[in-house]
Amino acid sequence: MRHQRPLAIAVATLLTLTLTTAPTPANAQSAAAPNQVTNLTIRQADGYATLAWQPVDGATDYQIERTAVDATGTPTGAPTIVGIWRPNRQINQQAPTFADAGFNPGDTFQWRVRARAGTTEQPYSDPVVATTTAPWGNPDTPGEQLRTQWETAHAAQYTSDTDEYAYTAAIDALSDRVRVVELGRTVQNRPINMLVIGYPTPATTPEAVAATAPVAINCNVHGNEPGDREACLIMARQLAFSTDPRITDLLSHTTVLIVPTINGDGRANNTRGNSTGQDLNRDYSLIRQPETAAYIKMVRDYRPVAGYDGHEFGNSRAGDLPMLPPRHQNVAQPIFDQSQDMIEGHMYTKGAEAGWWACPYGCEGGGNVGLSEETILRNTLGLKNVANSLLELRSSGGQTRPDEGNTANNRRRKTYSALWTFHQFLDYHRADRNDILTSRAESIEIQAANTGRLVFRGSRPIPAHPAPHPGDSPPPLDAPRADLILDNAPCAYKLTDEQYNGARTDGPGGVGTTVAQRIAAHGWQVIKTNDGWYVPLNQPERGLIPLLLDTQGVEKLTDGERVYPTLTGRRNGPLTVTGFTCAADATINGPVTVQPGAALVATATTISGPVSANRAAGVVLADSTVNGPLQITTTNAISIIDVTIAGPASLTGNTTGTTAALLAGNTIRGPLNCTANSTAPTNLGVANTVHGPRTNQCAAL
Amino acid sequence: MSNPSRALHLVAVALLLTPVACTTTTDPKPPRDTTSATQVTGPLCAALPTGTDPGNPSFLADQPVDQALRWIPTLTTFEAALRTSGALTDLPTGTDVTILAPSDDAFAATFSEDNWDDLMTRHTDQLRTLLKAHLITGTHTIDDLVTAGTTATLDGTTVTVTRTGPTARLADRADAVCADYRATNARIHIINAVLGALPKTAGDTDERAH
Ligand SMILES: [Zn+2]
Repeated sequence: MRHQRPLAIAVATLLTLTLTTAPTPANAQSAAAPNQVTNLTIRQADGYATLAWQPVDGATDYQIERTAVDATGTPTGAPTIVGIWRPNRQINQQAPTFADAGFNPGDTFQWRVRARAGTTEQPYSDPVVATTTAPWGNPDTPGEQLRTQWETAHAAQYTSDTDEYAYTAAIDALSDRVRVVELGRTVQNRPINMLVIGYPTPATTPEAVAATAPVAINCNVHGNEPGDREACLIMARQLAFSTDPRITDLLSHTTVLIVPTINGDGRANNTRGNSTGQDLNRDYSLIRQPETAAYIKMVRDYRPVAGYDGHEFGNSRAGDLPMLPPRHQNVAQPIFDQSQDMIEGHMYTKGAEAGWWACPYGCEGGGNVGLSEETILRNTLGLKNVANSLLELRSSGGQTRPDEGNTANNRRRKTYSALWTFHQFLDYHRADRNDILTSRAESIEIQAANTGRLVFRGSRPIPAHPAPHPGDSPPPLDAPRADLILDNAPCAYKLTDEQYNGARTDGPGGVGTTVAQRIAAHGWQVIKTNDGWYVPLNQPERGLIPLLLDTQGVEKLTDGERVYPTLTGRRNGPLTVTGFTCAADATINGPVTVQPGAALVATATTISGPVSANRAAGVVLADSTVNGPLQITTTNAISIIDVTIAGPASLTGNTTGTTAALLAGNTIRGPLNCTANSTAPTNLGVANTVHGPRTNQCAAL
Repeated sequence: MSNPSRALHLVAVALLLTPVACTTTTDPKPPRDTTSATQVTGPLCAALPTGTDPGNPSFLADQPVDQALRWIPTLTTFEAALRTSGALTDLPTGTDVTILAPSDDAFAATFSEDNWDDLMTRHTDQLRTLLKAHLITGTHTIDDLVTAGTTATLDGTTVTVTRTGPTARLADRADAVCADYRATNARIHIINAVLGALPKTAGDTDERAH
């Protein structure tokens, strides 16, 4: 499913369903007036109701009417048109559905639907009266009975910072499934909390959580866009206390990471940016601010494999739920494809069932949005091999929704559509977990191979959906400019000590963390030799490294020196590596010894003899073959990705600091032993194939 | 949110809200307090908390003004700005005040997001002056303001107030869309445009980038 749209199948299935489930017996049809909508059904869900009906031949669109009624079904208010259904709202246009929201959950309403031919209104359907679903959770069951300030205030108020802390602390206290951890603090010292949710209990350490293929939702980066955050808080309660087998099954197969408020200062002041005025969603690569740095360290430590980033949208013409994958061209193709599958394969299909209009961000009258800035979390995560999407909650008004401004009803429409999306996100991860992990593993290996051009800015195209596209136009093409393409990718960037450790002024109050600290937050391998600091490109975040360290980077940290391979082609005889040696597309016939203080970086290289390093600065190998043993001792930087090793492999007494040695996606035709390394090596969730025994620190790799 | 036709946008609001307004008038169980003191008027009122909803006008009448403002959904920008600017807390304790409170849509139509964040985080003096252009000493009903014809805001500007159909027009650019909220020592009138002297920076497109 991953590389192809399941569209044709989905449409075919839905057509079949329509044909087989449509009752429309002849006598019922004759009872209906000409062009009257028939078979109106209403299905209740959390905060919205899905209307479905038998389409009318020749209808241009449909109007959805809602009337408040009392318990006896007697109207208590005037009928109001609360929505328009038109064909570009969904991919299977033969089975119209409309998610009506924007009411107080639990209230009772009557709905009717009528077709319009052009502007000519046709007869209304028979009315359907139904009571909507009350806010989730039995009011008499501890835990379930918790409510957010937003729910208690009937959406007249958003949940405040202190109410959020109290609410999440209560969930933590009452549910074994939930642990609240503090990721960091905002500029104004508000906690940035994350709910870690698993079943029956969440794994205890970040590394253990990472092993569960977690999903992450960033709920509120722009302080004046709080709709997703309220959905996150409600979903946290559902995940914590629901006894629905679907929920416990979901939580048995992943860990859900929810960051309700990364931008607590902006939320408190209702500003887009943080308290310094910095738009945090233009900072996830640069991580100048403590808020973004906290999130990026979380990604490094917890390693989510899929993500959503919540926003609200000012474009009233767009669909209900604009979404967009990581488009930056340095994002590995499998991650782009997986993200597109999540959006177009899953969300478009499920949206057509629930009645929500998911569409590409930038669709209607797109404007110059949804582009390739790596500073935007959507792209940053993609460059970190996380399948993910942006989520926008549309503004009020437009072609298919009433214009209610920032009132309680429109807030509910936003929040409950976000809640639907986040639940669908969890369902997608559950259903496609193996595909997600495969695309992630492939992407890590593709990136570590360091092949192909680098693009500093520029997007992959989002082609119009053939259904047709559920929007009137695709997002802007945003192809890379010629001067933002580097065809000849370097092997590494070399930084001076001043560049690496020097004081910076680009943070709050004119004080920035060092490049060294930011690279550590991203989790990159760095090799220190006696002439500088080297950041090799043959590692999992290859596509992001040049954007921050190359002189051509549009929003870079520093001007690193490009270092090109020094060893290519065939070389016979023993090789003793001194200084910084980069091999690419090389064949080395003979043993390789990395001298103390020296470094070997290699890609697409075959080495016949043993490779040994003792007290070396670094050994970073990818997409290569070692036809002999590999032995690395007392060395500082180690990354071995997608390498075939014929002999035994051993890592002993290495001092890699806080950045663990990477052993990912390798084939080792012998034993693998890791002993007495300062930090246990990791495989980033990309398993190695080891023919011999795995022992000690590598027993689980 | 600055559509080519702001006027049409507002007409749409009014049209959509009118039927809803009937809900409150035909409600068989009106809220406990129906004194004229808590009667709010204007096309936006029905979309705000009504009847016994949390944050209804009767409830707000007993609240301190800063708390009352937090309950009115369409005032999130104004409420935060008032807090950040300190314009309200600068007033001597117990000062009666009338607040001309622009809606969130009004702010979005006036300031680009970058400009607004810049004002909120770096230019507190300008922000305070802007907020003072929306404060009047004394508690004045919208009818009082119309009768007087002009009023002086705390930034030293004289604002004209005229009757336009069922509502009032201020400074020839803002309409009262829900007037006569009461709070302790205060009146709050929600208006649909920003007053004061700062230039419009909102773009002509209603896109804003994620
Ligand atoms: Zn946003």
